[in-house]
Amino acid sequence: MLMVLPITVYVLVVSIWPLVYAVGISLFQYRLTDPDQVRTFVGLDNYAKAFADPSSRTALVNTLVFVIGAVSVEFVVGFGLALLLWRDTRLNHIAAALLLIPIALTPLVAGLVWRAMLNPDFGTIGYYLTHVFGISHGLTASPDTAMASIILVDAWQWTPLVMLVLLAGLKSLPIQPFEAARVDGGSPWRILRHLTLPMLAPTILLVLLIRTMDAFKVFDAVFAMTQGGPGLSTTVLNFYVYKQGLVFFDMGYAAALSTVLLVVIGLFSIVYIQIISRQARARRTGGARAA
Amino acid sequence: MFESRQSRAFRRLAVLAALVFFLLPIGWLLLTSFESPKDVFAAPPKLFFQPTLDNYTTVFRDVDVLAYLRNSIIIAGGSTILSLLLGVPAAYALARTGSVRLRWLAYFFLIVRMVPPVSMLLPSYLLMRDLHVLGTYMAVILINTVLNAAFVVWMLQSTFREVPIETEEAARCDGCSRWGSFVRVALPLARPGIIAAALFCMLFSWNDFIFALLLTSPSTKTLPVALLATFSSTDITWGQLAVLSQITVLPVVLAAVLLNRRLVHGLTGGVN
Repeated sequence: MLMVLPITVYVLVVSIWPLVYAVGISLFQYRLTDPDQVRTFVGLDNYAKAFADPSSRTALVNTLVFVIGAVSVEFVVGFGLALLLWRDTRLNHIAAALLLIPIALTPLVAGLVWRAMLNPDFGTIGYYLTHVFGISHGLTASPDTAMASIILVDAWQWTPLVMLVLLAGLKSLPIQPFEAARVDGGSPWRILRHLTLPMLAPTILLVLLIRTMDAFKVFDAVFAMTQGGPGLSTTVLNFYVYKQGLVFFDMGYAAALSTVLLVVIGLFSIVYIQIISRQARARRTGGARAA
Repeated sequence: MFESRQSRAFRRLAVLAALVFFLLPIGWLLLTSFESPKDVFAAPPKLFFQPTLDNYTTVFRDVDVLAYLRNSIIIAGGSTILSLLLGVPAAYALARTGSVRLRWLAYFFLIVRMVPPVSMLLPSYLLMRDLHVLGTYMAVILINTVLNAAFVVWMLQSTFREVPIETEEAARCDGCSRWGSFVRVALPLARPGIIAAALFCMLFSWNDFIFALLLTSPSTKTLPVALLATFSSTDITWGQLAVLSQITVLPVVLAAVLLNRRLVHGLTGGVN
């Protein structure tokens, strides 16, 4: 008990208390640019503003597009790569080790490097996109493709993580069912559909949970690549909160927006945690019955 | 397992293609750092050019690299030490407890990790401004440590659970106190896990941008913030940016290679 106390107090003071404080501030009109620093109580006005503000609605839609887009790309490609690297060969071991590098790379640097590579005039990739495929503005400069470029960077950085977690899951699976299926003449597709996927389900859920939670927090890539633009096309909720609070210094409104963001993330995580704990329970009772 | 020649060739090709894509930015960083501005802006992009060391000499002359490196080390190191001091005993206690209430506390730490940094940043910015610690090392270390310590608790809980309780009971029979069996038996046995957790804390704090952006002052800036501040103008000197980026990512890339397999277990936060 004594061992848990310091960290609990610490987390309460440095993390939970500020969050409660933020909910408090969200009920006030409070601008840091105001010379007298007055806080006027306005009740739920900031929340009303948040729901009426077309920009914040755009930011919410952008957030969902980004989270769903990035997580699905990362899952599909990551799973494909994990299947490729499943077999124990030297090339595969080297590849798995090298694929750790994107995960460790400072996200801000990743954003800056991709921005340079996608530049339509001199970028290693952007130049060819312009001159071979005829995309004239560059991916980051057009409202139609800017979000795709943020998803590209996020997928570049985190697909290897999804791959490595799924690969670890694959390698821990028992080998007999797969051999039996192959002897019985099951096609690779049917083995994948009826054997690999169900057996890997807990790992898949876990990695989807981790990635979804982190995708909501995307900031560095947006900051480095587009600053939320062009227009509002890459302004995710996270970035919008930052802009309102620490660029425009409208603290009350930013606090209200951040509370909305917290609620959205909370809803997602409750759904996920329920699925995961139900699975864990099913496995435990299933295991008990087998024993 | 049997693999036909065709499918093996396909697999190798696909793996190599994936490696090219995922290592492309690293190649770009290396090549660009040796390019003169003329070559960086060349169209079409050149793969072969006259290499130059100008970017390196300019960066080390004009940018106070050592100061930023020092700031990054102080902040990452400070947060790592604090996170371990807070997190390791808690992880041990949660792994050994029979109390249901304490088990619930473990979920609390998982949820803390899901809070978006921005939500924590706004009020912390105000609080730290009022406490006059804005711009100090302490400000960034304190807030980084919340996320890191919560992570340490989650990751090491499973590590401590794998330490056989019998070894500790034996130590206690031989006259060790409860605290003694933790320090002398459980800690050494969990050392690989603790080292991995420490490397992770360093990775997170080192790569952090958003907290450092708003809570550091010009004299306490970390490398990522300095990177952006040095090259925020419209015509970026990409060659020099590549040099400073290399300095920023070298320690973490090395750490990743060292971590290798533990990284996977760690990044899932030990949830499974």
